[in-house]
Amino acid sequence: MDQLFDVSLFASALRMLTPILLAALGGAICARVGLFNVGLEGLMLIGAFSAIVGNYLTGSIALSLLFAIGCTLVFSMLFAYMSIQLQANVIVVGIALNFLALGLTTFSLRAIFDVKGAYYDKNMVGLPKLHIPIVEDIPWLGFVLSGHSVLVYASVLIVAALHYYLFRTVSGFRLLAAGENPTAARSLGIKVTRIQYGAVLLCGALCGLAGAQLSLGNVTMFTEGMTAGRGFIALVATMLGQSTPLGVAGASLLFGFMESLSIRLQGFALPTHFTMMVPYVVTILAMLFFKDKGYMQEARKSSGSSR
Amino acid sequence: MDKLVNGFKPLLQPLLALIAGLAVGAIAIVIVGGSVTETYAEMWKGAFGNFYFVTNTLARATPIILIGLGVALAFRAGFFNMGSEGQMVLGALSAAVTAIYLPGPGWLKLIGAIMAGMLAGGIWSAFAGWLDARFRMNLLITTLLLNYIATYFAGYVVTYPLKDTTGSAAMAQTVMLDKAAWLPKLFQGYSLHAGFVLALLGTILLYLFMKHTVKGYEIRMLGGNPLFASYGGVQRGQLMFLSMFVSGGLAGLAGSVEVLGTQYRYLDGALTSPGYAWSGIMATLLAGSHPIGTAIAALLIAALQTGGMGMERNTEVPLEVSSIIQAVLILFVSAKLTYSFIKRKKAGAGNGPAV
Repeated sequence: MDQLFDVSLFASALRMLTPILLAALGGAICARVGLFNVGLEGLMLIGAFSAIVGNYLTGSIALSLLFAIGCTLVFSMLFAYMSIQLQANVIVVGIALNFLALGLTTFSLRAIFDVKGAYYDKNMVGLPKLHIPIVEDIPWLGFVLSGHSVLVYASVLIVAALHYYLFRTVSGFRLLAAGENPTAARSLGIKVTRIQYGAVLLCGALCGLAGAQLSLGNVTMFTEGMTAGRGFIALVATMLGQSTPLGVAGASLLFGFMESLSIRLQGFALPTHFTMMVPYVVTILAMLFFKDKGYMQEARKSSGSSR
Repeated sequence: MDKLVNGFKPLLQPLLALIAGLAVGAIAIVIVGGSVTETYAEMWKGAFGNFYFVTNTLARATPIILIGLGVALAFRAGFFNMGSEGQMVLGALSAAVTAIYLPGPGWLKLIGAIMAGMLAGGIWSAFAGWLDARFRMNLLITTLLLNYIATYFAGYVVTYPLKDTTGSAAMAQTVMLDKAAWLPKLFQGYSLHAGFVLALLGTILLYLFMKHTVKGYEIRMLGGNPLFASYGGVQRGQLMFLSMFVSGGLAGLAGSVEVLGTQYRYLDGALTSPGYAWSGIMATLLAGSHPIGTAIAALLIAALQTGGMGMERNTEVPLEVSSIIQAVLILFVSAKLTYSFIKRKKAGAGNGPAV
């Protein structure tokens, strides 16, 4: 057992947590304005792929992150336009977005890199690792907390910033109001549509970063469909965390830990099929403790149902 | 005249979507430096070039139709069943296991296998329905997560306990089924099998069920307006169970006919890598969950896929162009960019309907 719970398990849990956390925060913001974003998975995939492309074209980390954010912004704009302007069903648009992302990334993989399945370049430089000066000298904590990619630390800051924004600023309250009751918010002169667009775009940027952490964080590579359901796990994290940034962070921590545990268990002579199942099983179990809003309430809500 | 216009209206949307999809596909072809007309000609040939290709397309459409029907039923009832993949895989596995171990003559094995496949898919799907009814777990998410669990489980079963160790091929698959338990081919030497007939039957049955039975009406009511339905005394939990069970059962049937009619064994990944389940969901979305429309949309999607393969064989254009076309189709249809949308806008309705 002491072999199972060693230092590197916790360190890798932090790495696994980041993409889920960033995407889940995006999902939470969307949920707060009354849009249930099922397209997280697709946005993340596009982020992962465009981060690699950006890195391949420019060779600079900052530019490739910006490129990833730019690409996901375009696609989240599509999502926003379809669901806000054209009033299509958000879930259907989200599903379509996932299809589009999968098709486009696979196609572009062939068109740009001329490879099928996966692109890997050992000369490519991934996200830089930060070593925190004082912390890294603490025996156990140093190894867990220090030496991760920039995005891991950035995601912690983003959580704090979002929490402050949503619950301590006027504009954050307006965002909450726009989702809580669009009609009432409109009557107060709040620009609901504009807020919704802003929320979806912010979500897109976060998903872009989540994808970048996936493809540039640990190894610099992209494989077809490399998000592997993380977008949906992020959706669950959004729900579990009741769409508050701190709650979402807690839920993501659980899932990140489970994911690294499942990788660790593979060394224990268990069939990989069962270890791969762990995150999904735990996610379903975690949903037991979360009460979804009643469907009646949803039916009464003017902002469409999430089912 | 009015009749003609009204008959054409539901077709207008998919047609517009198809044109948009082909236009985006054309852009993608130009990007990789192919010739648009030549590529699309190859695509057409790959899908309907001769009798062999036509039967091939129909064979591919078979599981897509069945899955699409199941999803259509769930969507009509207002439940986002995204778990077709897991339901199909478990159905296929159960069908294979039943056909291998059930004693008796071939026809009995065949019928038993199909029953087992439908039952397994149905139970897996109803389980998600139960989780929603009992614990209020969001159905969309649970069905999605159950997919992964089902595929890993099926993978485990054919990698360890039921692995075929007779041949030299080191693949994760069960042993070959008894020849007597195979679904017959419709034409000697072509890949089209009797499962296609089942798919057509299912389409007609589901259409009649939705249109002419009380339960079908209740399901449509529940999906259309849950408040009205509950006011009228529709039992939501019970209907959810029923529609999810049938929905999963159809997905399980899709897996079963693939095993009994095409592969004659359960091979790990043989059902998931062609993406039958997602194609079925796409067909449903494309047709607005109308049973007959879903079957036609499934044919269209299968043709795009087989056509894409033909295109890849004979041109330099990658296969993925067809998946881009498919995604654009869905996006376009979901936006409901037609007459009905303008009408809704005027009425000041909020969100678009799911179907």
